[in-house]
Amino acid sequence: MLLINNLSFFRNDNLIFENVNVSLSNGQVIQIRGKNGSGKTTFLKVILNILISKTGEIFWEGQNIKKNIFKFYNQVTYIADHNTSSRKLSVLDNIKFWKELSSSNLSDDDSLLLLETFNLKKYLNVETMYLSSGEIKKLELLRLVLEQKKLWILDEPYNHLDDLSTEILNQTFVDHINNDGIILFASHYNPVISKLEILEFN
Amino acid sequence: MILIKKIFLFFKRESKLFYRNIVDLFSNILFFFLSIFIFVFALGTDEQLLKSIGLGIIWSLLLLSSTLSLRRFYEEDFNNGVLIIIHMRGISYELIVFLKILSHFLFVQMPFLISIPVASLLFNLPIYEVYNLMITFIIGSLILSCLSSMSASMNLLNKANFSIGGIIVLLFSIPIIIFSVGINEIESDYKSLINILIGIALIFLGISPWASASFLKLAIRNK
Amino acid sequence: MFSFLINPSKFNKFTDIIFKPLVFISSVILIVGLILVYLSPLDYQQGLTVKIMYIHVPSAWLALLTYAIMTIYSIIGIAFKMPFSFIINRAVAPIGAVFTLLCLISGSLWGKPMWGTWWVWDARLTSVSILLLLYLVIIFLNQTFENRDVREKTIAIFIIIGSINLPIIKFSVDWWNTLHQPASISKLSAPSIDGSMLQPLLVMTIAFSLIGLMIAVLRIKAEILIRKNH
Repeated sequence: MLLINNLSFFRNDNLIFENVNVSLSNGQVIQIRGKNGSGKTTFLKVILNILISKTGEIFWEGQNIKKNIFKFYNQVTYIADHNTSSRKLSVLDNIKFWKELSSSNLSDDDSLLLLETFNLKKYLNVETMYLSSGEIKKLELLRLVLEQKKLWILDEPYNHLDDLSTEILNQTFVDHINNDGIILFASHYNPVISKLEILEFN
Repeated sequence: MILIKKIFLFFKRESKLFYRNIVDLFSNILFFFLSIFIFVFALGTDEQLLKSIGLGIIWSLLLLSSTLSLRRFYEEDFNNGVLIIIHMRGISYELIVFLKILSHFLFVQMPFLISIPVASLLFNLPIYEVYNLMITFIIGSLILSCLSSMSASMNLLNKANFSIGGIIVLLFSIPIIIFSVGINEIESDYKSLINILIGIALIFLGISPWASASFLKLAIRNK
Repeated sequence: MFSFLINPSKFNKFTDIIFKPLVFISSVILIVGLILVYLSPLDYQQGLTVKIMYIHVPSAWLALLTYAIMTIYSIIGIAFKMPFSFIINRAVAPIGAVFTLLCLISGSLWGKPMWGTWWVWDARLTSVSILLLLYLVIIFLNQTFENRDVREKTIAIFIIIGSINLPIIKFSVDWWNTLHQPASISKLSAPSIDGSMLQPLLVMTIAFSLIGLMIAVLRIKAEILIRKNH
């Protein structure tokens, strides 16, 4: 359960957004829509405490996240609009690193199966720098399932994806919601997901 | 326990990245040897002259070649956001910096240790000077790693003037070179100079995680 | 009473009052000092070249003083988060650099007839040239970062670390055997310089300090204005 209270953010005395109130309960998915430069990415970063707001509070399961930041981080998967995979490491190395870093208990067979669904298994020992941008994005999105966290925060997840992968991503979202997960994402693309709620930003 | 596991994981990743970037290391060593050759061509091959100035040349070239890899210290991990991901999994930025310094020391500076005896051969340095050089380099390179960490993290915030990072490393490495070369003079006290070097290394090892981490936090906030 | 030293608006008010008298007094003292220098006796060993001292010593003193002031303000600025100290750091650094350069050039001109060389790698000379490098890096750093907070804090930390150099400069003539002569004037003992030379030297030092102060006031005022408009 994520509760955002009266959140405002200023960058160099310029107002980015003001008095945003959102509450996300288990099994909810919210899309943030808005023009370019309307502060969607900034909003996500403020929620993750990467950027620090002067006013407003964020609560995760009843606790202020500023006081229990690692407890909060331990429940979040954050997919930024750039790729966190290391260009010089192979696909397998990247996946292993993410999995062990988040101490997830997904088995190796399951992660191979995941690669199969996104059609990435053939690149298992290929360095990430040789993959196309769509494939790197798909590799990035694998983190959602690999890390097994409750709250997913995504920035432009639909960039570079083809129709089939978009379909798979939507299906993953629906599965996560049915398992009482929470999803918050910012995107220009309007996906077809039942129960999708929209937050307009301007 | 989980934290120790994550630290090992971090080192495993760093060692893999080191293995993939090994060409970079070789080109640094190549730069080192090429500069020695250029020095020798510029000075002539007078054996006595080379013997007397060899130590100083080797030390200054070691400093210069270690500033070559300065920009790679944090830049890649910062640009693709791996730093944030690692931080979100429960490792504070200070610890990240500390681990980075250690891995830079192990994977970037230590390989130079092999090239020092070879370089000393070229200048016909006496054996005790080579020995002193290697001891002081082990301590001095740890200080250099700390300095590189600080100036590399500072450079993340800096969009105009990239050479300033190297300048700062060179400026603060002046004491290292004074004490390290001074060790070979006959009247100097060997033990106290080594102790001074170790003291400087410990001070920097204490300061740099704090300083670099505050630069990293600022850089991530201003990205 | 001394709040004008830490408060920009009070600093502006205070300097508005004192600036014109400051210009007048400093020019009078400078003229008096130059006349005293002209009338001062020649050294029986060094001849006319001893008069370089009346430029060399005051500029060296001001080079060190400027850095010491910057160090104190940096510590205050970091400890108490006072933006005015960062204004001073930015405004004063070029002045210190110019005085250091003046000190090095006049010393070099003095060294050629006396020591027979423009430059020796002696502890005093080396540490002062490192001071010049520190000043130059500070000036470069001032133009490097876009983000103001980052810039100011970085420079303050850099200044504090670099202040290790100050005692090294001060005591270099005592710690190492150097070509450079030890200090002639110190508070604790009687000066080892004749009164007829001490007098013009002191007047010139006061004149240099006042001129430095005058330029610093102008630069700090400009810096306050720039900061207000951004």
